[in-house]
Amino acid sequence: MFPGATDDGEGSHTADDADRDGANFVVVGAPLDVSTTFQPGTRFGPRRIRSFAEPFDDYDHRTDQYFSELGVEDHGDIRAWDNAKEYLEYLEGTLRGVVWDDAVPLLLGGEHTVSLAGVRAVEPEAVVVLDAHLDLYEAYDGNELSHASVTRRILEEPAVEDVFVLGARTGSEAEWERARAPDVTVVPPEDVADWPLADRLDGRDVYLSVDIDAADPAYAPATGTREPFGLESRELRDVVRAVAPQASGFDVVEVNDRDEGQTAALAGKLVREFAFARADGR
Amino acid sequence: MAKQQTEVRDLQEGSYVMIDDTPCKINAYSTAKPGKHGSAKARVEAEGVFDGKKRSLSQPVDAKIWVPIIERKQGQVVSVDGDDMQVMDLETYETITMRVPDDIDVSPDENIEYLEMEEQRKIV
Repeated sequence: MFPGATDDGEGSHTADDADRDGANFVVVGAPLDVSTTFQPGTRFGPRRIRSFAEPFDDYDHRTDQYFSELGVEDHGDIRAWDNAKEYLEYLEGTLRGVVWDDAVPLLLGGEHTVSLAGVRAVEPEAVVVLDAHLDLYEAYDGNELSHASVTRRILEEPAVEDVFVLGARTGSEAEWERARAPDVTVVPPEDVADWPLADRLDGRDVYLSVDIDAADPAYAPATGTREPFGLESRELRDVVRAVAPQASGFDVVEVNDRDEGQTAALAGKLVREFAFARADGR
Repeated sequence: MAKQQTEVRDLQEGSYVMIDDTPCKINAYSTAKPGKHGSAKARVEAEGVFDGKKRSLSQPVDAKIWVPIIERKQGQVVSVDGDDMQVMDLETYETITMRVPDDIDVSPDENIEYLEMEEQRKIV
């Protein structure tokens, strides 16, 4: 259970007929860990994030709100198995149920592949991805559902018009080539703080995906493919705060268990920042 | 209500299921794997046959569930009067009044196919 959230009851759901007792946010854990390419362990992400969110204060001074009063429910984890395609279908259905209930899914990865289910459920016009990597491989080692291909798959979704990859600092030559197309905007780490994101998102329905490796490995060492020269924690926080008010879906992914909890703490804090900012901004 | 019981595992896309006492057509069916603990669950996403509303349910695959018995019938349009039309059931020759759907043009003597469940009908 995410600290400050309440238990989610499963059952039947009707579109446009909210029956989640007015939940505004639903935490869903997606511990998928099948295509991690260097250091695995994302299967432990959701439980680490929940665990290291325990010491955080319920009260948020900036927005004058209590987390436990934001209407956050925790659905628990959707246990993962090794068929990513099937898993994404099931996860997408669960997240679509959240969307039908007029709530915002807060997805805890799991490898970045799970974001595809989030985007398919939310059907946003624009997707903001905080990520060290472009994740634009057509397929990685022949796998189209690799975590290294997730942004490429997101771009193929009919509803998605634009993807903004913030904090990206590495990719293959073919990925950089794909990134030159007009539907992709890459903002390097040094430009993220001053980049006019709000102008590009104005009035649009947005999905926000945070691959924790967007942060410099100094702040987030527990991730599978660490990439130096990354974002400061506060830069990640500021992007989350800026995007949250118009985001209909959120995830934080690629957290594993290879540290003392600092990565999961950062991820958990970003989940809370998202919820506070969205509740405050709507 | 005409319905029969089955198990969630026997549902499939394109077939019918009762969700919240409403007959629905299944658009998507996916199952989660059970692992060593717990049981396999299925998610069903469906659309009300007569009201068009989207509904979903999540249940263990061995749960019992009701399936509506919906008949597919042939009829012939006898006459059209504004938003209503008289249709003759080509099996029983009984004449019934049905509302003309917004998206369909019908004319007398035309044969139509419709779904019927108790007093509810929908042109296919």
